[in-house]
Amino acid sequence: MTTRRKRRGAEEGEFEDPLKDYSTPTYADETEQRLCEGRVGDLQITPYITVDANQTVEQTLRMMAEKDIAYMMVVDDGRLAGIFSERDVLHKVAEQYQQIKSRPLRDVMTAKPVVVYDSDSPAKALNLMVIGGFRHLPVLNVDDQIVGVLGPRRVTAYLCQQFSKD
Amino acid sequence: MGLHHDILNQPVSELDLRELIAVSPTTTVRDAVSKMRQKKLGCVVVVGEDGKPIGKFTERLLIQLLLDHSDILDHPVGQYTAEVWDMVKNTDPVAKLIDAMEAKKLRFMVVVDQDGKATDLTGQKGLMEYIVDHFPRQVRAQRMATEFFTGEREGG
Repeated sequence: MTTRRKRRGAEEGEFEDPLKDYSTPTYADETEQRLCEGRVGDLQITPYITVDANQTVEQTLRMMAEKDIAYMMVVDDGRLAGIFSERDVLHKVAEQYQQIKSRPLRDVMTAKPVVVYDSDSPAKALNLMVIGGFRHLPVLNVDDQIVGVLGPRRVTAYLCQQFSKD
Repeated sequence: MGLHHDILNQPVSELDLRELIAVSPTTTVRDAVSKMRQKKLGCVVVVGEDGKPIGKFTERLLIQLLLDHSDILDHPVGQYTAEVWDMVKNTDPVAKLIDAMEAKKLRFMVVVDQDGKATDLTGQKGLMEYIVDHFPRQVRAQRMATEFFTGEREGG
């Protein structure tokens, strides 16, 4: 025989409905509102560069140097498979470059990166970057297709721009 | 007092500055890379005997050197440092830092004291965190799934 645990009410301190407050949120100013109710897609998320996971480490580094970029999204069969940045070069490539320069990028990329969707709020993206410590965030659409990338410079520009509107 | 006021009036020292990695020109590229990895920083500052910065060695420069030289790791960084260094005084307003970083598309800037001695480092990430700190309720209170924090960061 199964004994069902009796559910206690919030007044006893165990459970409190996080959705019990259905009132419309209030904001101090328009910047606050845009942070919470805007979309990541409203920020500057382009241009961005993708690279195939089968490309060699050397080819990728050459592309980064030629295009003067710090960060690339790695795709496999048209889908986001990972990211590769200057920080990856520092940690995974530099000290063994001669041994691994001919290997495919998939061996050294950061796989399964944390992403945001273009419909997410800017506040969520900032939370991931500032609290979560993710320097760059790939931006996907509802079909999981890459539509952009967000980095510190773009976030700073967005916030300064929002402030000047208020 | 809001963000605009603070940007114009607060000094750069109000930012959460990073500890600067200072190396001598004779430090090898291998040792510089090792220090950058340990401190999770994208550059080291090459300083003279008087503590004043004379060059920078960055992740970007490292990539170019790896492509150009097969045995770069045991060479001294002083041979390759970029000479132009953008600096800001710790007493300068944050606005000056923002203007300089935006105008020159910089990732890092060295923070110097009144004597011109390099003391700290700041960059795009620190600036972003400073600005975000002005919106704590909206940003820090965001509810997030635990799996987000377990994802791997760039560089592992």
